[in-house]
Amino acid sequence: MWSLILDATIETVYMVGVALVLSALFGIPLGILLVITGPRHIKPMPFLHRVLSVVINVGRSLPFIILLVAIIPFTRWLVGTSIGTTGAIVPLTVSAIPFMARVVESALLEVDWGVIEAAQAMGATTGQIIAKVLIPEAVPGLVLGLTMVAVSLISYSAMAGAVGGGGLGDLAIRYGYQRFRGDIMFITVLILVVMVQSLQSLGGWLAARLNHR
Amino acid sequence: MSSTMIELEKVTKIYGQGEKRVVALADVSLKIQKGEIFGIIGLSGAGKSTLIRCINKLEEPQSGIIRLAGQEITTLKGKELRAARRKIGMIFQHFNLLSSRTVYRNIAFPLEIARVKPKEREERVNALMELVGLTEKRNAYPSELSGGQKQRVGIARALANNPEVLLCDEATSALDPETTKSILRLLQDVNRRFGLTIVLITHQMEVIKEICDTVAVIDEGRIVEQGPVVDLFARPRSVAARRFMQGVLHTEIPPEIQERVFADPSPDRRGKTVRISFIGEVAGRPIISSMIRQYHVDVNILYANLDFIKNNPFGSIIVEVTGGDANVEAALDFLKTQGLKLEVLAECGA
Repeated sequence: MWSLILDATIETVYMVGVALVLSALFGIPLGILLVITGPRHIKPMPFLHRVLSVVINVGRSLPFIILLVAIIPFTRWLVGTSIGTTGAIVPLTVSAIPFMARVVESALLEVDWGVIEAAQAMGATTGQIIAKVLIPEAVPGLVLGLTMVAVSLISYSAMAGAVGGGGLGDLAIRYGYQRFRGDIMFITVLILVVMVQSLQSLGGWLAARLNHR
Repeated sequence: MSSTMIELEKVTKIYGQGEKRVVALADVSLKIQKGEIFGIIGLSGAGKSTLIRCINKLEEPQSGIIRLAGQEITTLKGKELRAARRKIGMIFQHFNLLSSRTVYRNIAFPLEIARVKPKEREERVNALMELVGLTEKRNAYPSELSGGQKQRVGIARALANNPEVLLCDEATSALDPETTKSILRLLQDVNRRFGLTIVLITHQMEVIKEICDTVAVIDEGRIVEQGPVVDLFARPRSVAARRFMQGVLHTEIPPEIQERVFADPSPDRRGKTVRISFIGEVAGRPIISSMIRQYHVDVNILYANLDFIKNNPFGSIIVEVTGGDANVEAALDFLKTQGLKLEVLAECGA
């Protein structure tokens, strides 16, 4: 039993970890683009801004469980399989990207406009403003946002069990629920709670440490 | 000292459209000389903030031309605009420092932007911290500094790329009077030391009085008056200017004095209540006492006020001059010949 739980925990950490990194890789630039193309920001591009916003909203409005099955062909095409942890990483990432973009957007919008303007007045390029002002000034908000995405990825990863995605959710359903193993159910829930709790505490602590405001 | 640094020609800026249309600047023309401290005073909403922000193109006017050191700013774009902006330092009311950077790194910021080499950057930042007196706060974050210290960082940062012009957007409005004075002294110091042209906008006449050479009064998007600060204080022509002046100079007549009426004075004790305004070196001469001796009048000082505008004494006194109509007339004529400005406020007698 313990080896089952250990394997499932590792799978969950793996799925969430990879999906988090990948969604950050796409979601953060997307969020930045969304912000700077906005009206009255440093690179206003109304059309692109609208398009991005609509696409992100579409992504956000799909329930994860639907997305999971809806993109099976895409998943298969991309990684060659739609089951197992690798198969689960694709929908997890796809669903986390728009979420990540919104989280990044709200963190960046928190940056004091006066500071951005001061950088403009100094002759900073758009790239310099992004790299030296927007991102560093938003770090505490970004850390909290990333934490939020990670926590929801944990909960989504449990759903991925439905397509044989592996991980703690899968274990809880197959053993805890279908085979009436109350003990396994209890332990997986406990592990999930501990995971979320420690992640949230870590994020909160890190954000506070990095905040010099 | 006499070459033009900044020139605005018929600059107009309008916000919004239709019913919400607001004319922030209407046909504003200004000339700012190299090396001077030029103050623009106006109430909030008068357009002064828009005006100063047009100079580095943070705001783009709809029409008009702005030239800086002969270069037209209004048509600059992209790379050229960024290069021009590096030669214009700016400080702000709310300082706008990067909260994620220490004092040292905040001052280094514009040098990074300008891609100055690390070694040179370090020397420059150290010199600037020394200049503004913040060497000990090198590793402090802005949140650990007082308002005055933050503005000092702002000034050091603005000076980092050796600008020709420093724009001050309400730079002292968030500071207490004592700190304001020390920041103004620092600005005056850098103006003298580096021959830096300073443009500042404010709603505080104190700021104009303390350090400006030339002043423009802006009201509802128009420049209603401009000229040397001393002239403005001596002869404010516009309503807006007079309004600002009252706050600092108490040029209005105190009600107690207006109500000072005497019942039936004897003819040889009759006289007048007069306000005498003076500026510059007249303040140093004993004119009143000569008047008393030569014209046999009595003088009762009701109110007096002396101030300095950039080291020029300036002030006004309100006196009752009594001793009979003829003597009083002669005495007042004498004062006029001495270059004083007189204003008869009331008849009186003792």
